[in-house]
Parts: sequence; C-alpha cells; structure tokens
Amino acid sequence: MPGIGPVNNDAPRPIKVVLNWGRRYSLWVFNFGLACCAIEFIAASMARHDFIRLGVIPFAPSPRQADLMIVSGTVTDKMAPAIRRLYDQMPEPKYVISFGSCANSGGPYWDSYCVTKGVDQLMPVDVYVPGCPPRPEALLQGIVQLQEKIATETLSTKSIRAKYAGSRRAAAGEVTRPLLARPSTVTAGHTGDEQL
Amino acid sequence: MIDTPCRDVPLEEWAAALGLALSEGFDFFDWLTAVDQTDAEDNPGFDLVCHLMNSATGHSSQSELARVLIRTRVPSGQPAVSATRLWAGAAWHERETYEMFGIDFEDFQDGSGLGLRPLLLPNGFEGTPLRKSFVLASRASKPWPGAKEPGEGGAAPGAGALKEKPGRRKINAPGVPDSTWGPR
Repeated sequence: MPGIGPVNNDAPRPIKVVLNWGRRYSLWVFNFGLACCAIEFIAASMARHDFIRLGVIPFAPSPRQADLMIVSGTVTDKMAPAIRRLYDQMPEPKYVISFGSCANSGGPYWDSYCVTKGVDQLMPVDVYVPGCPPRPEALLQGIVQLQEKIATETLSTKSIRAKYAGSRRAAAGEVTRPLLARPSTVTAGHTGDEQL
Repeated sequence: MIDTPCRDVPLEEWAAALGLALSEGFDFFDWLTAVDQTDAEDNPGFDLVCHLMNSATGHSSQSELARVLIRTRVPSGQPAVSATRLWAGAAWHERETYEMFGIDFEDFQDGSGLGLRPLLLPNGFEGTPLRKSFVLASRASKPWPGAKEPGEGGAAPGAGALKEKPGRRKINAPGVPDSTWGPR
C-alpha cells in the first residue's frame, strides 16, 4: 500500500509547510510525450519559456525519480496499460498534468475506435491544460496552478490512500517486472515480431 | 502530383499480377491496403491496393522512379492470396488489412507460424474498425457536440441557430449510427 513515511506523516504544521515548499519548487518532471503536444511541452522546457525557473526539472531519467508526469498527446487504448504502469512506478507524492485536448478528453478523436477518452480514465489528474495544442505559456500557468495546489495540501498516508482508493493496490517499489530475456529461437531471415 | 499507373486485375489473378510486376523489376514493396467499396453500384467489395516501386530507377535527377499500383476487388467474405511469399515485408501490411477490414489472406506466412493475427489494435478488440459498417461506440452513446449540418447552431441551445434549408440531403458519415439506432 502506498504511504509517505513517518517524518512526513507526523511532522508539525510549520515543518509540513516547509516540506510542501520544497516539494513545489523541485518537481522532477517525467515527459510522456505522445503526439504533437509534446513539441509544445519541449518548447516550454527550452530557453525562451524555460520552466526550470519555476522549479520544474527536465527530465527525470525514469519514472522512479519523477514527481510530476505531464501527459502530452493522444492516449490510445493500446498505450494505456504502459501509461498506467509507469504512473504506478512513480514514488508518492506524485502529480499529473494532462496537457492538451487529447489527454484531457480525447479531443478531436473523441469518437475514435482506438483513442482513450481522457487520461483521467487511467489515473487521477491534478491539472488540466486545455488547447489543441496549448501554448507553452498555458503549461507554465498549469504548473503555477499545481504549485499553488501543492502549497495548500496537507499530505498524510491517509489522504494518499484516499486519492487512489479503489484503483491502486501497490506501492511504487512493488511494481516490478523480471528482466527481459532475448528470445532464443530466432530463425534466419525472421524479423522477430512474434511478440507483437 | 505523380500519376501512378494502376493495373486493375480480377481477384483470381492477384498473385499472378504481383509476381508479374516483380519479374518486370518492381522489386520494392511500398505498401498494401484496402478501400471499403461495399456501397459501390456494381461489384461491391473491398479494393485491395498494392504500391510497388522499381529500385533500379530514380537514382539520378534525370530518371524518374518507376511506380505501379495493383488493384483488385475482393467481394466481402472472400480471401485474397498473400504476397508474403514474394515480399516478406508484406506481412505487417496484410495483418493490418486483416484487422482493419477483415480481409483474409491465404497462404500467409511471416516465419512465426502464428498466421494472421491483429497487429495494432489492443488485445480483445472486437470488430473491423475501417469498414464503413463499423459503428463507433462514442457516436452511438453521445450526440455530436458541434454542428451536424452547415448553418446549424451547434451544441449551445438558442445560440442563433439558423434555420436549416428544407430538403437538404443529410450528411451520413461512415461510423455514425443512423436513426434506426434510436435517439441520441
């Protein structure tokens, strides 16, 4: 079960304010760029818009080092299990920004046979950024909104468990998979696509 | 625009036409797909289209790359002959055509021995989504949020909705359920 540990849980109120302050200005971001919105997201990370000045640090090398996941792009049903798995691997407390119409609700593909109608069907979303695609400034505004939300929250193991109630049964460290072994029966001239 | 020559062949000559093109030098398999023509007036079915190129041409600015389209009409429910014996790379294209249009390919082999199986669709997906008869679940459960017809007001009620011209033919897009599905 997910939890946040005794120091965070039982700290007095002023210490929690300090912890929240530290948390809101060091958001290691995990880039989940799936479509054209990812370009705007990358633009927001570069020199002109530069979200490092807000304390968002690009890019966490893996979900296990990330605090914030920005889903930017079209989520398909085929991709959904992978997103959920990577989200489950992020340590608590973790936050999600849904960036762009497709990640918010399916967007222009709302009636498609293969597009998930919003990433909030897979995991709890903290901030939605509308637009198709949104400008990088919109992402900056979304990050500021998320930071305000983090500043006012009172973290406890109980509140985290309530947030994932019904959908989340494992802590980040438990979501593991054995190492993949190379298939041994690759015949000559065969492309190795039997897994697909 | 490149005007690619197109060879229309009957279904039973499909494999022979592909083999003939290969022997003529069209050795590069570009793509294979289908077009839903089940609402055609004569000979309804699926157009199976294959695009081939000649890799010996197009190396200098003077010589143009030679291309050819080979097309056949597959009646619904009938199999076509696989091109995987001629080009191994046709396997992914035929698997995609199989899952999207439900066209079977005889003698399909990609070295795995697993036969035709879905390629891109998520596990457990039912139906052939690129057929015109495939009804989109979102369209069946939800009304179109925007304007259905040109000049219509859209979702906002009373927001200056223009009166629709009488007798204008309704646009009926593939995938959108008709009125027999009930009100939405």
